Amino acid sequence: MSANYGLDADRFLATDSPLGALRRRVAGRYAVDEFGGDPHLMDLVAGAARLSVAVEGGARVPRLGPALLVANRGVGLLEPLAIMRAVRAAAGRRVRVVGAPELPVLGDALRSVGAIGYAAQRFERFARTWHLAAVPLSATWLRGGPGEPPRRLVVATMGFPLLPVAVRPGFPLARPGRPWRVRFGETLRPPAGTPPDDQLAAAELADAVRDAVRALLEEEQ
Amino acid sequence: MRVLVTGMGGELGTRVAQLLEGRREVTEIAGCDFMPPRRRLRRATFARIDPRDRQRLVAFVTDFAPDAVAHFGVYEPGSRMGSREAAASTEACTVHALGAAVRAGRLERVAVRSGIEIYGRGRGHPLLPDESAPLAPTTDYGRTCLEVETVAAGLARHHDVAVGYLRYAVVAGSHVPSPLGRVLRLPAVPVPALADPPFSLLHQDDAARAMVATLIQGAEGPMNVVGPGAASPWQAVLLGHRIPIPVAPGGWRLAGRLAELAGAPIPAHVLELLRRGRVADGAHAGAVLGLGSLVPTQDVLGDLFAWATARRLEAVA
Repeated sequence: MSANYGLDADRFLATDSPLGALRRRVAGRYAVDEFGGDPHLMDLVAGAARLSVAVEGGARVPRLGPALLVANRGVGLLEPLAIMRAVRAAAGRRVRVVGAPELPVLGDALRSVGAIGYAAQRFERFARTWHLAAVPLSATWLRGGPGEPPRRLVVATMGFPLLPVAVRPGFPLARPGRPWRVRFGETLRPPAGTPPDDQLAAAELADAVRDAVRALLEEEQ
Repeated sequence: MRVLVTGMGGELGTRVAQLLEGRREVTEIAGCDFMPPRRRLRRATFARIDPRDRQRLVAFVTDFAPDAVAHFGVYEPGSRMGSREAAASTEACTVHALGAAVRAGRLERVAVRSGIEIYGRGRGHPLLPDESAPLAPTTDYGRTCLEVETVAAGLARHHDVAVGYLRYAVVAGSHVPSPLGRVLRLPAVPVPALADPPFSLLHQDDAARAMVATLIQGAEGPMNVVGPGAASPWQAVLLGHRIPIPVAPGGWRLAGRLAELAGAPIPAHVLELLRRGRVADGAHAGAVLGLGSLVPTQDVLGDLFAWATARRLEAVA
């Protein structure tokens, strides 16, 4: 048996039956990563959430390798969940959401279901693991105010694809029956030959991805 | 190359000596410790010396005049001795052995055992520190590691010696005397009630290989050596078929006392690991030392619980 007990750290495989999942948890046969993530628990949470999600442009989500998904800012925990379900439907992969608060109990709990901290240094390490990560335009999913482009994270991941994502709320934040709409835009990359630590290029790219998210939202309206 | 192995009596020191015996470029190996090596050594010579016996240790090291030192005389509290004794023995071994090695006049390179406890786990500390993270230990063992690195850094600065600092994750395995291993093997294990933080482990063979690679290559600077992936206290307990005892934040003192009564004292750095986790970014060491794939943390954990079952043989008439 592999170290992860048959669980792929990146790709969603299949959800155990409730009894099978319970047996796996009780036996401790699940993976834990350095960031505190628990892929089995992530699948259970994403699967248990009864969010109806409509996906557009899902073919743009990379099937392999790292990418930074930049989405419009939400007001709570449902937007990241909608993105998780959309990525799972589009590419069969898990996505980690940047912005876990550095709090003892809540932070640990959120990290285990797929959140990671905002520190750019830590994110750079995460990006090297070739997983997908989603980041809101503001610093954290829980913070109010206008969204800022994630320049520091873009610097940390220069060279990796950036994917603008527009999220429109559905039920329960909109009328019953309306699904969440998650729309993936065209992939953005720095110009060829850009050095990895080019702060100006990162700032320009961060602005470009914010504009792309705005354009996607405006197209929705 | 003449290599001195301090702490040769421990599992790691013995394993390093064995690996060095297989290297052609290593012409002579000598080691010392307060207890004899755990396996048979063919080429290495060993002297049983208490690290606090300055006179004997200095005379032994000066007489051997090493070109390189594998410094395993860094004793983890709760492993083979208590916290105070471990700190005193580590300080004495580091100062006496490394000082005498420099005085002997041939020293070119040193590899010291340290630990990722050196980064500390206080509020605001990075959760996944790499080698550039600030050193802010929050436990006795972390502070001991910092003192060892400081002494070794002095050698590098003043005597032009190449020093590599190997910051190990908790070294564990079925035969390694480790306080974490003893706690996890208790029939009922205290675990945090409100958290399940990740921690990384390192297999003893990988720890030994990293030490040998550092010495042979003359690698310099700090290197985090950690097994890939992570485990968590709850998962470890469940995998080992032990009973998890959830402990609220105020109950750890009592839990520590009870564990000690059961034969597994929980030193501060192990308590910190159980409550706050301990991981580090090991990418730099992997690239510098070219160790290839290390044993994943989950497999090290499996090894920790893999005790061979003793089978009584029937007498043959």
